Amino acid sequence: MPKINLKLLKKQAQREINRAGDLKFLNEIFKKYLGKRGELTLVLRSLERMPKAKRAKVGKEANELKTFLREKFEQKKFSFAKATEDKEEWIDVTRPGKKLVVGHLHPLTQVKRKVEEIFQAMGFSVVEGPEAENEWYNFDALNIPKDHPARDMWDTFYLKDGLLLRTHTTPVDARYMEKNNPPLRIITIGRCFRHEATDASHESNFYQIDGLMAGKDISVANFKAIIQEFFQRFFEKPVEIRMRPSYFPFTEPSFEVDMTCLVCGGKGCSACQQTGWMEMMGAGMMHPNVFKNSGLNPKNWQGFAFGMGLDRLTMMKYKINDIRLLYSGDLRFLKQF
Amino acid sequence: MVFSYNWLQSFFRKRLPAPEKLAELLELCAFEVEEVKRVGGDWLLDIDVLPNRAPDCFSHLGIARECAALTNSPIRKPSVSNGAGKFQTRDFVSVEVRDKDACPRYTAKVVTDVKVAPSPKWLKARLKSCGLRSINNVVDIANYVMLETGQPLHAFDSGKLAGNKIIVRFAKHNEKIVTLDEEKYDLDEDILVIADARSPVAIAGIKGGKLPEIDKKTKVVVLESASFNPRIIRKGSRKINLKTDASWRFEHGIDPNLTEFAINRAAFLIQKLAKGKVAKGLIDAYPNKVLPKRIKLDLDYTERLLGIKIPKREVIEILKSLEFKILNSKFNILTIEVPTFRLDLTIPEDLIEEVGRIYGYQNIRAVFPTVSLIPPKKNFSVFWEELTKNILKEAGFTEVYNYSYVSEEQIAIYQSNQHKSAVIELENPMSTEQRYLRPSLILNLLNNIQRNQRYTDEIKIFELGKIFRKTKNVEEAKQLTAAILGDEFYQLKGMVDLLLQKLGISNVWYDSYQSTPEDSKISMWHPKKCAEIKVDHEEIGFLGEISPKIIDHFKIDNRVVVFDIDFEKLQKLCSEETIYQPISKYPAAVRDLAVLVPRGTKVEEVLNKIEVAGGKLIRDVDLFDVYEGEELPEGKKNLAFHIIYQAENRTLASQEVDEIQNKIVKTLEQNPEWEVRK
Repeated sequence: MPKINLKLLKKQAQREINRAGDLKFLNEIFKKYLGKRGELTLVLRSLERMPKAKRAKVGKEANELKTFLREKFEQKKFSFAKATEDKEEWIDVTRPGKKLVVGHLHPLTQVKRKVEEIFQAMGFSVVEGPEAENEWYNFDALNIPKDHPARDMWDTFYLKDGLLLRTHTTPVDARYMEKNNPPLRIITIGRCFRHEATDASHESNFYQIDGLMAGKDISVANFKAIIQEFFQRFFEKPVEIRMRPSYFPFTEPSFEVDMTCLVCGGKGCSACQQTGWMEMMGAGMMHPNVFKNSGLNPKNWQGFAFGMGLDRLTMMKYKINDIRLLYSGDLRFLKQF
Repeated sequence: MVFSYNWLQSFFRKRLPAPEKLAELLELCAFEVEEVKRVGGDWLLDIDVLPNRAPDCFSHLGIARECAALTNSPIRKPSVSNGAGKFQTRDFVSVEVRDKDACPRYTAKVVTDVKVAPSPKWLKARLKSCGLRSINNVVDIANYVMLETGQPLHAFDSGKLAGNKIIVRFAKHNEKIVTLDEEKYDLDEDILVIADARSPVAIAGIKGGKLPEIDKKTKVVVLESASFNPRIIRKGSRKINLKTDASWRFEHGIDPNLTEFAINRAAFLIQKLAKGKVAKGLIDAYPNKVLPKRIKLDLDYTERLLGIKIPKREVIEILKSLEFKILNSKFNILTIEVPTFRLDLTIPEDLIEEVGRIYGYQNIRAVFPTVSLIPPKKNFSVFWEELTKNILKEAGFTEVYNYSYVSEEQIAIYQSNQHKSAVIELENPMSTEQRYLRPSLILNLLNNIQRNQRYTDEIKIFELGKIFRKTKNVEEAKQLTAAILGDEFYQLKGMVDLLLQKLGISNVWYDSYQSTPEDSKISMWHPKKCAEIKVDHEEIGFLGEISPKIIDHFKIDNRVVVFDIDFEKLQKLCSEETIYQPISKYPAAVRDLAVLVPRGTKVEEVLNKIEVAGGKLIRDVDLFDVYEGEELPEGKKNLAFHIIYQAENRTLASQEVDEIQNKIVKTLEQNPEWEVRK
């Protein structure tokens, strides 16, 4: 066993580490001192054969030296890495990133999801119904009699097979109430059709959101709270709503629902024709005849129903100025969402 | 309809609120006001009278009544004349109503010594503001009274009525009439007319005839003020395709009790403005007098429906302001008598609307409902639909929404390849472009590709929507269709695999399609590049290249590959279940294998052989290259596989793997046309 001079070992190792010119050489030095058969390793291993008193002293020093050298090695290693980074490995961060091919969901799908999510959070179930509908559900069940001028409110596409294309999603309410007793909360979003000329704000097929909440004592005040909450969550702004009288054969009373103008916050601007309000939906308290036609006793139930355009909400959200873009299949449009 | 502010003001002693203010008030409590426009010294309010209020509010008096309720000011009724001259109306004309259901009331009155002349300026101006042309004082007065009261009136020249008779009857087959505007109409048994002893002199409730027209020589005027059955007027007006101010009003219904007031009002004005003398008496065919309705209003229900308590006293005030009579208000259930001009009110909810709107909906505070906590039901159809869209989107496909219709031309392309019967035609399409309901989503997707190929050649699109087919009935079903531009069959097949895997559907396989003569569905497709997508034994859709002929029709410059999946079937197979397969602790060994086979050999055949020969130690076989090229022998292709071996309980020895690999090679080479490359 050679005489151990830890001080000398330290000096020597330190000098060699400092001199090391590259990583490979540094690793060899590491091996020389701290490897399996390294000089310091051997010292540490020899400890157990030493007398107790000496062992404690040498052991402490040797371990301190080990920690010290490891640190030195790490520092040196880091300085190499840094030097390489500085010298060779350079990238141009201003170069554009690699384009990943991603698809896009249609804006109507995205807004539909948002609407469904908000209403589901308030306990509304999402339901669906047919697009090719019969006269009963689209009109008669909704208290819109045949040969009545009220039918003129809906310009209808008829099919040669006797059915028609639903003009609104309200028939889904009637279908649902036939099979389910109140209390109930439903929302349905689906494609509807109107026989009218197409322009920037009218399409002959479009999407309508229809909601219904019925129970023992569901009131106009409740409607106001639910719908106000919906708009606040949808637009993420503290908006208010107001109701004005309207007429729909399937609701009584009926309302037109306005919301605080999003552009001016109610002060009045060109977007809202200086009124401070934007027209958002038609609504009302379900007409007793509709309950009756769906097999429910109107004496037991009351509730609100509303209908609103999904296309309009989508256009407001994304500031789309022409409804026809939604049905154009134009990828230059769709890839923006 | 346009209303004159000054005219409305004329019914009140008190000043009405300024036009803009009045419009705002009306808007919140009655009707939307489209526009307030200043014209000369007047303001014109374009008011959107709600269709159920047409009977009472398609008149200045009606809107004035609304203003009275909203401003709490009493209305002054316009003056009338019951007649005082030496003549009796019945000396000039007799009235016979042949169908009481079609004409519940017919009133007639005569004014003699009339001087037909141009109307005074103010009258002309008022008519003009409301969009009517001035004719002469008598005709103008009839129109004026209609605008004022809502009751359409008609004036005949008594001298021109054959037999001094007015008969209300249905037209006879082949009867004709020339109307005041010189238009000729063919009438039939569905159309109600006013006739004299000889022939029709007016189309009842729609338009007057030329024959008994008021002209400069007219001395004796017979005024008509009648009530007609709305359905009959509506039907007649549609049949002859003629809508007038009168027909529009009659279609919506008018209070039969209004005829008398209106006719006396007109008589008064003719006396005043055309120096006429109003004959005594009124001919009034009114067998079943309409009486005011009584409706019970439960104040508790009112509170429950509106969600706010309005004091009884206030409710009563509101009802009174609308000219309703309170017959009984002792209890919490009021008995209300509703004036007959309010045809729109029949049930308690109607009255609650009246109370609510005049009270002001803005005064109802928002209150969240108190309900049982019933969580919403999960709608699986919607859930799978949204998940499917997400998977496609994440894989680089863009969602489109197309019209539900297809054009005549598209259907021709489709039908020449399909059964004739299966499509559904619209009765009243907007154009031939939109004549049929889409029987497939492919047609419009091809249009999308055609339009987009100008801007980009990277087109990967999909649509999930309803298609319509006729079987016994109209059959409507959700369909999922995706299209890709280019020779990308395998990319799209990979998409289907990924989609089904993510939807938890296994056992997917692709069957080359053997078309039978009856089943021509396939011929949208390239006959050699098309497969049925099958899950177990059920076919759920097709995958393939669109037939070059069809691509040509659509003027697309490249190949198009499409998958077309019956979403109704698909969603039934979906599952959210995934069971974790333990990961083996032991390393896998990979061996490559290349085999030269004839071009027509299916990869599946080779795969099957490998898997059978390899047994259960094969974890996966991955085809990583297919090569057909010059260096290879004629008619051959090279298939290259990675074969991954792994055991669950041990590390496989190299020797063991080699043995299996050799077994596979031997098995493959049993086929004399196959050659494993070493």
